Amino acid sequence: MMVLKKSALTLIAAGLLGMGVANAAEQSMSFVSWGGTTQDAQKEAWADPFTDATGIKVLQDGPTDYGKLKAMVESGNVQWDVVDVEADFALRAASEGLLEPLDFNVIARDKIDPRFVSDHGVGSFYFSFVLGYNQKRSGDKAPQDWSALFDTTTFPGKRALYKWPSPGVIELALLADGVTPDKLYPLDLDRAFTKLDTIKKDIIWWGSGAQSQQFLASGEAAIGQFWNGRVHALMQEGASVGVSWKQNLVMADFLVIPKGAKNKEAAMKFLAQASSAAGQAEFANLTAYAPVNVDSVSLLEPDLASSLPTAHAADQITLDYAYWAKNGAEIATRWNEWLVK
Amino acid sequence: MKMAARPTPAANLAARASRAPTAQSHSGEQAVRWRGATYLLPALLFLGLFFLVPLLGLLLRGVLEPTPGLGNYEQLFASSAYSKVLFNTFAVASLVTLFSLLLGFPLAWAITLTPNGWGRWLLNIVLLSMWTSLLARTYSWLVLLQSSGVINSTLQSLGLINEPLAMVHNLTGVVIGMSYIMIPFIVLPLQATMSAIDPMVLQAGSICGASPLRSFFKVFLPLCRPGIFSGGLMVFVMSLGYYVTPALLGGAQNMMLPEFIIQQVQSFLNWGLASAAAALLILITLVLFYVYLKLQAESPVASSTAR
Repeated sequence: MMVLKKSALTLIAAGLLGMGVANAAEQSMSFVSWGGTTQDAQKEAWADPFTDATGIKVLQDGPTDYGKLKAMVESGNVQWDVVDVEADFALRAASEGLLEPLDFNVIARDKIDPRFVSDHGVGSFYFSFVLGYNQKRSGDKAPQDWSALFDTTTFPGKRALYKWPSPGVIELALLADGVTPDKLYPLDLDRAFTKLDTIKKDIIWWGSGAQSQQFLASGEAAIGQFWNGRVHALMQEGASVGVSWKQNLVMADFLVIPKGAKNKEAAMKFLAQASSAAGQAEFANLTAYAPVNVDSVSLLEPDLASSLPTAHAADQITLDYAYWAKNGAEIATRWNEWLVK
Repeated sequence: MKMAARPTPAANLAARASRAPTAQSHSGEQAVRWRGATYLLPALLFLGLFFLVPLLGLLLRGVLEPTPGLGNYEQLFASSAYSKVLFNTFAVASLVTLFSLLLGFPLAWAITLTPNGWGRWLLNIVLLSMWTSLLARTYSWLVLLQSSGVINSTLQSLGLINEPLAMVHNLTGVVIGMSYIMIPFIVLPLQATMSAIDPMVLQAGSICGASPLRSFFKVFLPLCRPGIFSGGLMVFVMSLGYYVTPALLGGAQNMMLPEFIIQQVQSFLNWGLASAAAALLILITLVLFYVYLKLQAESPVASSTAR
C-alpha cells in the first residue's frame, strides 16, 4: 500500500516536473498595441527577432484600451505584459500607480533620447503632427505653418483636426496666434479657444488615422493637422497631398508594463529589444515613424530618412506631455465646454 | 459589438410589457399565475450575477471614486458642457424617434397590405438591413453623404447646387444615419400590431359614414397605438445609448452622452464621473419606461383601463 502510494506520488511529481519543463520551453508574453500596420511593423521589427533570440513567444493582442488596463491592474488579473500607450498616458498611469518601474540594467537608458524615456516607460516611436493639405484644393499656393489653418480666405475648405483633448490642437492654435514655442506652457486656454472659435464651423474632427487619410485624400478637408506617417503613406500611394514640416509638433508612444504583469522579466527583455538601435531603425524603416534610440538614425534607409521627423528637428516643437499628464483632465473639461457651446 | 447586443434586453422588456396581464384579477388567479415563477429562477440568477451585481458596482463607483460623496454629480451639474451634452442626447434621440416613426409607419402599413408572399419579402429586406454590420452601414452613409460623396457630386454635376451640402459631421448626418438604423425596430412591432387589426373594424367605420381620413385618425391610428408606443420607446431608449454612428457621422459639437462616458472611461480613467453620467442615463431610461407602462392600458401600473 505504502509502496503503491509512493509510486503514485512519484508519477504525479514526474508529471508536474514534465509540465514545468514544457512551460519553460513554451514561455510566452503578450504585446498590446493599436492594431493595423503599426502593430504589424512592431511584430516584424521587435517580436519576431525577440522570439528567435530568446525562445519566448510573443502573443499579439489589442487594441490598447486604457480602461481595460486599469481594470486589469485593479482586479489583480493582469493579462497584458507590454502595452503601447500615448506618452501623456504613460506619465499619468505611472502617477496613479498602474505601471511597473522599468529595470534599466536590462534596458539601455543612455541610448534613448531623454524626451522619450521615463522611470515607467520607454519610447515606442515618435511622430509629428504636420500640416497636410490637398493640392487640388490649395492650387499653386503652399501653406507654410499652422497660421494657414486659420486663413480661410487663402485656403478655403474644411480643416481636419484631431478629435480628442490631447496634446496638439491647443498648441497649434497658440502658435498660429503668435505665441513663441518657449512661451507655450502653461497653456493659455482662453487665448487658444478664442483663436479656434474663428474656424470652429470649418473644423471636421478625425478620430483615427484611417479617417484622417480619407478626409485629406478625398478633399473632404482642404487642410489639416495629421500624423506624419499617415501623410507619408498617402504620398507613397500617389495622392495629391502636400506637407509642411514647419512647427511640426512632436508626440510619442511609450511602451509600458502594467503593474502585476505575469511575465515581467520577459517584458523587460522585450523592451530592451524594442528600444535597441536595430529594433528602432527597423520599425522606422517599416512605418516612417521616428526612432527613439539615438544610434538608430545612421541605420535608416537613405531615401526614407528625409520623410522622418528626425530630418526636421530644426523646425520641431516637442509637446509637453508631462504638462498634459498633470492637467489633461482639467483641459478636457474646458475643451468639452468649448466644443458643445 | 456592444451595440449589436443592445437591442435584446430592450426588446425583451418591451415584449414582456405588451404581454403583461390584461386586468388586475383576484387572488386565486394570482396564485396560479405565480406558480410558474420557479422556472424564472435560472434566468433571474444569471441576470443577478452577470448584470445586476456589476451594475451595482458601477453605480457605487459614482459615489465612491475618487472620494466618497456626491462630488461627481456636483461636477456633472456644475459643468455647462454636461448639460449641453445631455440636451444633445435627448434632442438626437427625439428626432431619431420621430423620423423613424414617420418613415417606419408607412413601411409597416405597406408590408401589412401587400399580398402575403410579397409582404414577407419586404419584411425580409428590412430584417436583412438589420443583420448587416452596423459599421458597414454607417460607413456607407459616409460615402453617400460626405461633401465629395455620391449625393453631392451627383447634384453638383447636374448643376443643382454649387457648393456641396453639409450633410455629415453634423446633426443632420447623425439623424439620417440613426433613423435608418432604427427603422426595423419600429417596423417589427408596428407590423405585428397592424396585422392583428381586424379589417372589418375599418370597414364598419366607413359604413357608418367616416371619411377615409377620419377612419385613419379615429380608428386605425388608435388601434396601432401599442405598436407605435413599444417601437417608439425602444428606439428612443436605444438612441440614448448609441455610440458608433454618432461618433462617425456626427461632429464633435454634437457630442452625445455615450461619447462623453467613453472619453472619461478610456482617455481619462475618470470612472467615478463616468459612472455618475451612466447612472443618470439609466435613471432617465427607467423613468421613461415607467411612463410608458403607465400609458399602456394593459399594463399593471396603468393609471386607467380605458383605451
